[in-house]
Amino acid sequence: MNRIANIFFLLGVLIFASCKVDPKIIEPLPADNLVEVIPDGWPQPKYTFSVNTISEDKFVLGRALFYEEMLSVDNTISCGSCHQDFAAFSHSEHKVSHGIYDRQGTRNAPGIFNLTWHPLFMHDGGINHIEVQPLGPITNTLEMGADINPVIAKLQASSKYQNLFKKAYGSDTVNSQKLLRAMTVFMGLMYSYNSKFDYYKRNENNVELSDAELRGYSLFTAKCSGCHTEPLFSDFAFRSNGLTVDPFYQDSGRAHITGLPTDRYKFKTPSLRNIAKTAPYMHDGRYTTLNECLDHYTNAIPNLTNLDPSIPTNGFQFSAQNKQDIIAFLNTLTDYKFLGDKRFANPNF
Amino acid sequence: MKNIIKYIPLFLLLTTVSCKKDKKDPEPEPEPTPAATTNTIKILFEHTVDTNELVLNQNYVNPNLDTFKVSTLKYYISNIVITKNDNTTFVEPESYHLIDVSNLSSTTISIPNLPFASYKSLSFTLGVDSTRNCSGAQTGDLAQNKGMFWNWSTGYIMFKLEGTSPQSGASNKSLTYHIGGFGGVNKVQRNFIFNFASTPANVSASVSPVIHMSVDVNEFFKNPTTINVATQHTQMSTGATAKMFADNYADMISFEHVHN
Ligand code: HEC
Ligand code: HEC
Repeated sequence: MNRIANIFFLLGVLIFASCKVDPKIIEPLPADNLVEVIPDGWPQPKYTFSVNTISEDKFVLGRALFYEEMLSVDNTISCGSCHQDFAAFSHSEHKVSHGIYDRQGTRNAPGIFNLTWHPLFMHDGGINHIEVQPLGPITNTLEMGADINPVIAKLQASSKYQNLFKKAYGSDTVNSQKLLRAMTVFMGLMYSYNSKFDYYKRNENNVELSDAELRGYSLFTAKCSGCHTEPLFSDFAFRSNGLTVDPFYQDSGRAHITGLPTDRYKFKTPSLRNIAKTAPYMHDGRYTTLNECLDHYTNAIPNLTNLDPSIPTNGFQFSAQNKQDIIAFLNTLTDYKFLGDKRFANPNF
Repeated sequence: MKNIIKYIPLFLLLTTVSCKKDKKDPEPEPEPTPAATTNTIKILFEHTVDTNELVLNQNYVNPNLDTFKVSTLKYYISNIVITKNDNTTFVEPESYHLIDVSNLSSTTISIPNLPFASYKSLSFTLGVDSTRNCSGAQTGDLAQNKGMFWNWSTGYIMFKLEGTSPQSGASNKSLTYHIGGFGGVNKVQRNFIFNFASTPANVSASVSPVIHMSVDVNEFFKNPTTINVATQHTQMSTGATAKMFADNYADMISFEHVHN
C-alpha cells in the first residue's frame, strides 16, 4: 500500500509539473486572475473573448510575443520597446515613436489598457479589430518593419515558441491567427479600473478626494466629460480639440482613413486614465506636461477646420487655480495596481 | 493518509479510463457505408487577355493600346450559391476562396457534398463581405498573411493585379492595383450570377461536373472606364477610384460551359 501511495504522490507531482509554466519563461501566474472583467457600471465591451477563449497558456504565449524582438525585421525591438509597463504601456519620453534603424515615426504611442472597449484602434481609427491590431506595427516599415510571414517562420524555428504554441493550442504549428489571438488575450486583459478615483467612486478603502481634487472633478465634468466620458474617460469618437496642424507631419487624422474632408484633423479621443504616466501628450507628443495640455484648453483656440463645437474658440479661460485643480483630479486617475501588475511585465527580466 | 489511500484505486481507475482505450470494449462494427447521395462540383477559372490565355510575365496589349505584363493576379471569390432546377439552393458553408494565378491549384474551387440533382445556375461574389472584414484574425484563405490584407486601414484587398508597362507613369514602370473597400458607396465587392442555359450541371454518383469560367484581364482595363496606365498605374487605397476599378471588373468573369 505504501508503494501505491508513493506512486500516487509521484503522479500528483507529474500532473502539477505539467500544468505549471516553465519558471525560466515566466513565474507562475495566479490563473484565476486571468478572466474577463467588466467593472460595475461599465458598458459592455466591444470585444468579448467568445471566439478566443482565455487560457493561462495563451496569456503566457501572448506575453512572450509582446516582449519578443523577433517580431521586428532586425530582431531589435518588441511591442514592449514602445509600450512600457511603468508608463501604462505608452512610450515614455518619446514624442513620436521611433522604430527599427532609428527611423522616426510620426505619432505618439498611446497607453494601452481597457482595449476591449475600443471600437477602433490607433489615433486615426485605421484598425478595426483588436485581433488584427498587432499586424500594423509588425508590418510597418517605420516601426517593426517585418512582413508577418518571416515572423511566423522565425517563431516556427524556435523551440521556445514551438513549446509555447503547443501549450496554448495543442499543436506547435505557428500561424497568424494563433499568434494574433494570443497577443489579444495578453493585451485584452490589461484592465485599468483601480485608481484612487475608482476607489472613491466605489466607496472602497475609505478613499476620499481632497477639496482640490473635488473642485477639479466638477470642472472636468462640466468642461471635459463630453468627450473624455466616464468610466473609460473617452467616448472614442474622432474629434478636433483645436490643435494646430503640425506643418511637418501634416497629419490629417481620421481623414487619412475615410478620405472625408469633414474628418480632417480629427483624432480618436484618448482615455485620460493613467494620464499622469503617459507623457508626452497628444497624437504627436507635442506637449510634455499636463500643464501645457491645460494651457492649450485655457487659451484662445484658432477656429480650425472641423474644430469640435464643444470647444470655445476663446478657450475655457481657466484660472491658474482651476488648472491646478483639474490636474489634481487627473492625477487621481493613476492606477498603481495596474502599473505594478507583474503579470504584464517583461518575462525576460 | 488512510483516507487518501482509500481513494487511490478510484483515482487510478479514472486516470486509466481517461487516458487509455478500454481494452474490454469490442472494436465497433464498421458501419455499412450508406449509398452516396452527394458528389462534388468544381469551378474552374481560366484566365485570359481577350481570347489569349494569360501567361504571367508575358506581353499583352490593353484596350488603351498600352503594352503590359501581369506578374500577380489574385482575388477573392466568396459566398458561392448553386441553384437547382427546382429553384432550391445549395449554399457553400465558409465560402471564401483566394484565386491566385501563380498557384494553379487555387484556380479550381472544389465544392463537395452537393446532393444529386440538376443545377441550373451559379452565383458568387468577387470580394469578401463586410462582416469578415471586421472580424479579426482569420484562418484559411482569409488568414491575414496572404498579402491580401491592409494592416493600417484594415480590410481585405479584394482584388490585386500587379505588373509592368513601358507606358506606365510610375518611375519603375510598375502597375499596382490593390482594390479594396468593404462598405459604403465605394465598396468594391461585385456579385455575379450565371445561368447554365441548355446544359445544367447534373450531379450524380458517376458525374462530378466542372463549371468553366473565363476571366478576362482586359475587362479590368475597360468598360465603363478605359484605363490609361500613364496616369492610372497605382491604386492602393479605398475610395472613389477603387470603386471605378471595381465597376470595370464587374464584368470580368464570364460563364463558358459545364462539363458533365
Ligand atoms: C516603434 C514603436 C512601436 C512599436 C514597436 C509598437 N507600437 Fe504600438 N503604437 C505605437 C504608436 C506610435 C501608436 C499610435 C499609432 C497611430 O495612431 O498611428 C501605437 C498604437 C498601438 C495601439 C493602439 C492603441 C489605441 O488606443 O488605439 C495598440 C493596441 C498597440 N500600439 C499595440 C502594439 C503591439 C501589440 C505591438 C507589437 C506587435 C506594438 N504596438 C508595437 C508605437 C509602437
Ligand atoms: C471636443 C472633445 C474634447 C473636449 C471637450 C476635451 N478634450 Fe481633451 N482631447 C480630445 C481629443 C480628440 C484629444 C486628442 C487630440 C490629439 O491627439 O490630436 C484630447 C487630448 C487630451 C489630452 C492628451 C491625452 C493624451 O493621452 O495625449 C489631455 C490631457 C486632455 N485632452 C485633457 C482634456 C481636459 C482636461 C479637458 C477639459 C478641460 C478636455 N481634454 C476637453 C478631445 C476633447
